[in-house]
Amino acid sequence: MSLDYVKFTPGFGKFMPKEYRDMVDFGPFGKKTSVSQVGTFKEILEEHPMCAGCAMTLFIRLAMIAFPNPEDTITVGTAGCGRLAISQAAIPFVYGNYGDQNGVASGLARGLKLRFGDKPKDVVVMAGDGGMADIGFAQTLHSWFRKEKFTTIMLDNEVYGNTGGQESGMTNKGQVLKMAPLGKKFEKMDMLGMAKVAGCAYVATVVPNNPRRVESVIKKAVLIAREVGPTYIQAYTSCNIEYAIPTEKVLEDCNVVENDRYKFSEYISDEAKEALAHLYGYKEYLPKPAKAIE
Amino acid sequence: MYLVAHIDTEICANTSCKLCTQFCPEANTILYNNNAGKDIGLKYGSAYVAVDRCKGCAQCVWVCDNMAKHNAIKMEMIDQIGDQALTENITYSEKNSTAILASPIRG
Ligand SMILES: Cc1ncc(C[n+]2csc(CCOP(=O)(O)OP(=O)(O)O)c2C)c(N)n1
Ligand code: SF4
Ligand code: SF4
Ligand code: SF4
Repeated sequence: MSLDYVKFTPGFGKFMPKEYRDMVDFGPFGKKTSVSQVGTFKEILEEHPMCAGCAMTLFIRLAMIAFPNPEDTITVGTAGCGRLAISQAAIPFVYGNYGDQNGVASGLARGLKLRFGDKPKDVVVMAGDGGMADIGFAQTLHSWFRKEKFTTIMLDNEVYGNTGGQESGMTNKGQVLKMAPLGKKFEKMDMLGMAKVAGCAYVATVVPNNPRRVESVIKKAVLIAREVGPTYIQAYTSCNIEYAIPTEKVLEDCNVVENDRYKFSEYISDEAKEALAHLYGYKEYLPKPAKAIE
Repeated sequence: MYLVAHIDTEICANTSCKLCTQFCPEANTILYNNNAGKDIGLKYGSAYVAVDRCKGCAQCVWVCDNMAKHNAIKMEMIDQIGDQALTENITYSEKNSTAILASPIRG
């Protein structure tokens, strides 16, 4: 976990794959790269086996570009589609057993704090809606109640995509799926509300049809988790396979769903606003000067 | 054979929009060459596709047609694209990348 861990032993560079050499020479480590510069630098995400056109892939790609310090970031994931890509990146990835990801991340974040003190080391969990809201529900909520300092990102495709289309707690009421032929009988879970009740310092919803917004949300969530406490992002990342969305219509679906049930929302605690303003130069969160009384 | 995205440099290099580079789900697949087409008087450089990484989803076509409204990207059979970029022929430099374009190997 430092800039040096990607560099090769002198003399070995020429034996390394082209992609690896590009990563060392033109990757984002130690630089400030942004979504507006994509196409001109080597990204940390590599090729992976997720489906063509999957919105979850697009979201993961954008999230990785947005990490404020990729060289000091560890991702944590679990069973489900997302880990197929998250694990194929030039930063360390820890695989928690299905549902254990927030427990694993708690230990990891605490260990890094003990080992590195105030040197920033960011832990980011990315897992599916099933892994987070169903099977990992207790561990997710408890990590928030304990105020563990890492970022939790739900890749919400509203289905168990990796295992062929079972309903999850995050599936919408009435939705018929391959393995929910009668339609789901219950409402979608309010994980955003629960994140706030449990004390998350930052809670946001986002859809990958707006790369700059994804970037802004990820940066804030990671920085606030570093300084203040748990942060939660819920991203709509459709499954074009289980919801039968033609790949060239995936972004159109993002727009429809955003307008229907996934409007952009962002909650920031006062303490988090203060940290962003004073430590990271977010001027919009500086306290407004008091108006002179006439 | 299979379809991959192909960008018309002449259309793209008149726009400087770069939108598709942000929306391709695959990393380092649509890249941008700031100097493409400058030799023939085009202004802004152009996006291009590393065809060996393209999964053929056509999201970039939707983005260029509907968001950018430039209609510069078409899906084409990989063995029919005359000048194509492959990862091994792409060279990055500060804030840019260029590819030596090559014809496909026809079996
Ligand atoms: C303890 C355990 N139970 C069940 C599974 C099987 N399993 C693998 S992926 C998955 C579903 C993933 O769904 P979700 O978390 O929503 O992620 P998605 O694939 O939709 O991104 C299941 C049930 C497992 N790996 N481990
Ligand atoms: S099954 Fe669905 S969520 Fe999983 S990679 Fe394919 S499209 Fe994406
Ligand atoms: S969206 Fe179209 S015009 Fe814009 S950079 Fe891509 S190919 Fe060029
Ligand atoms: S077809 Fe899909 S994978 Fe290929 S360049 Fe376009 S958006 Fe990227």
